[in-house]
Amino acid sequence: MSRQFEFLTRFAMALACMVLPLSSAMAHKSSDSYLTVRASGDQVNVQWDIALRDIQFAIGLDDNGDDQITWGELQRRQSELQAWAASRLSVQRGGRCTLKEQALQVDEHTDGSYAVLALSGSCPRSQGPLTIQYSLLFDLDAQHRGLLKLDLDGLVHSSVLGPQNSVMQFSDNASLGAQFLRYLQEGMWHIWIGFDHILFLLALLLPAVLVRQGAGLRGAASFRQAGLGVLWVVTAFTLAHSITLSLAALELISLPSRAVESAIAASVVLAAANNLHPVVQARWAMAFFFGLIHGFGFASVLAELGLPAGSLALSLVSFNLGVELGQLAIVAVFLPLAFVLRHTPFYQLGVLRAGSLAALVVALVWFVERAFDLSVFWWA
Amino acid sequence: MPSNPMGEPSWRIGPKLAGLFLVLVATLCWSAPRTPLDVNEVLERLVVKAADPSTALLRGYQKAVGNAPADVRAVGDLARLYFDLAGESGDPRYVGYAEALINRYPAALPAELLFVRGLLRQYRHAFAEAQQDFAAVLASKPDFLEAQGWRGAIFLVQADYANAKLACDALGAAGAPTLQAGCLGLTLAYTGQLAPAYRELERGLALAGNPSNRLWLLTRLAEVAAWQGRVALAEKHYRSALSLGISDAYLLAAWSDFLLDQRRPLEVIRDLTGREASDPLLLRLALAHQQTASSKAPVLEKMLEERFAATRLRGDTTHRAEEARYTLMLRRNVNSALVLAQANFEVQREPRDARIVLEAALAAGDPAAAKKVQSWLQSSGFHGAPLSQQMQALEALPKGKP
Repeated sequence: MSRQFEFLTRFAMALACMVLPLSSAMAHKSSDSYLTVRASGDQVNVQWDIALRDIQFAIGLDDNGDDQITWGELQRRQSELQAWAASRLSVQRGGRCTLKEQALQVDEHTDGSYAVLALSGSCPRSQGPLTIQYSLLFDLDAQHRGLLKLDLDGLVHSSVLGPQNSVMQFSDNASLGAQFLRYLQEGMWHIWIGFDHILFLLALLLPAVLVRQGAGLRGAASFRQAGLGVLWVVTAFTLAHSITLSLAALELISLPSRAVESAIAASVVLAAANNLHPVVQARWAMAFFFGLIHGFGFASVLAELGLPAGSLALSLVSFNLGVELGQLAIVAVFLPLAFVLRHTPFYQLGVLRAGSLAALVVALVWFVERAFDLSVFWWA
Repeated sequence: MPSNPMGEPSWRIGPKLAGLFLVLVATLCWSAPRTPLDVNEVLERLVVKAADPSTALLRGYQKAVGNAPADVRAVGDLARLYFDLAGESGDPRYVGYAEALINRYPAALPAELLFVRGLLRQYRHAFAEAQQDFAAVLASKPDFLEAQGWRGAIFLVQADYANAKLACDALGAAGAPTLQAGCLGLTLAYTGQLAPAYRELERGLALAGNPSNRLWLLTRLAEVAAWQGRVALAEKHYRSALSLGISDAYLLAAWSDFLLDQRRPLEVIRDLTGREASDPLLLRLALAHQQTASSKAPVLEKMLEERFAATRLRGDTTHRAEEARYTLMLRRNVNSALVLAQANFEVQREPRDARIVLEAALAAGDPAAAKKVQSWLQSSGFHGAPLSQQMQALEALPKGKP
């Protein structure tokens, strides 16, 4: 009799569980660990969130048996925990990377508290594919998964590590397209946030829609005339900074960055001053000459990003292309507006003269700051 | 501050703002890694209490397996205890423990362990693999009643009523009349014979003395009564089931759905507050708060979003029916809800699975999206409130997507 009741209970539970894996106590989900790996060249940093419940099940944490895990209890098991975890993870790049334990912290996820392990170290090689081998808890919990987020030299991968796929290899150059796009974006982004480059370009472009007439200025007669002036300046600037960007990125020439940054500020000062008291008529020549210096500025940004050895040329070209695209966007906004307003006193006085004066003042401040390593404005 | 005619401060009109504020607070509390300052800070309260009788049992079983890893009985006992704990607590971690335990078994699996593996596989909706295991069990041990019962249950969920009926008959032939009545009652209900289904379940109830069996049969009787439109009778059965005093999440979910259909959200809030641990119950609680337009609704919605995001990350699809309902009712993202509901209906074909497809299709104004449910309704013959009315409303819509 009782056997039959037991069957019915199970049968009932079958239907209930299939539809609603339900709980009666606390937030429930299957076991996951959150593994974040950042690899840049031969350096690797790991953040690994492992549920305290899982650690309790695997190695035990509740020393005093009061059904609670305290920070003290977790700390006491730190070395055991780290040894256990480290034996179940390996990161390889040209061989196994050494991973040294850093601080132990804690965090919360939807199903409770997690120990946060920080590991860092270096790999035998700074390029090539990276392999992750993961076997945390698989021997104890077949439904455990490692949720991996990997940043490999700027390329981000997400994966789920499970018993069936516990080893995963990630290629650092599998997606040249993604790399191309990344450097393109960086190039565009840099010109957009690089106020000194924008200001220099604008200072040279402001007079392009005007022509000299006796002692004064008047608006250019045609869009073609104005457009040609802009084209000369932009082409010369592009050509020049492409040359020095490439030379610097390929490490054929290198200049001290403070000198470069100061010279960039000085170039804005001179370009703006030339609008107020014209000395140089051939602005394209100024664009070319100072463009050479701006190229070194771009190169230092690229150096910070890091150039992948395997696809150096591609990254260089796409970064440069990004810079040009960003520049074109500025011109595309500037030229029609300036052309429409070119006859107005607002443009000739307010924009050209007052604007150049303002640019001159700002650039002068930059120059002083950069050349003498001062901080004049807190925001600068 | 301008006062309104009711004399209430005007900020009282902003429960949504209050809710958003709570969400913001909750988000901020979702901390980054931190270093606790106090060694006595309690980081986690364990679900399994050392003093629980089941803990002693668990320890004993674990020790037995440790001593004899190849002992079928020891491994089977521990694996089934894990499975039972998963059912009682709703904690799927136990299913992973049991699976790992069976994976570690050093020889070909005997029938008893194959059966447990089948249970574990159906738990995570791997129905085809589970059926293989149950079939293998029955091939070597035809009198393995439990395997027969579970086979029937899976056939029902997959809308294979002919095979479900065979499994029910096999239970009867093997001398398990209560089990047979439950199995047959559901098969009849799902094939649209609501009156005979009701009688069959009543017959089972008369045979059942065990409170948890009574609870299950009463819940099913209530569902059948509700499909028949006999609301008062359904409520009577639900109340009888609840009065048994057993905490049962399936009953609570069904009862809450019944109340939500009756637009009685306050009773849902009363019964489900404190049960937020379970995603399905949290969903019903959030829906109830939505019906009352309470400021807690956005907070619960945010909690659900986080839970579904966490399961999505690991590629888990067992909660798609709930997620579809959440996406439709709370997020009001009709197209995503429809995709989820349709995907769920590919795996599970019970009335509640059909209903969410119909509701999403109605919200999308897209009768074609419910084609599979329509053909299921035709082939099974199932009818019942409110599905039949929803199907009619959908058929009345102009054909083709707007």
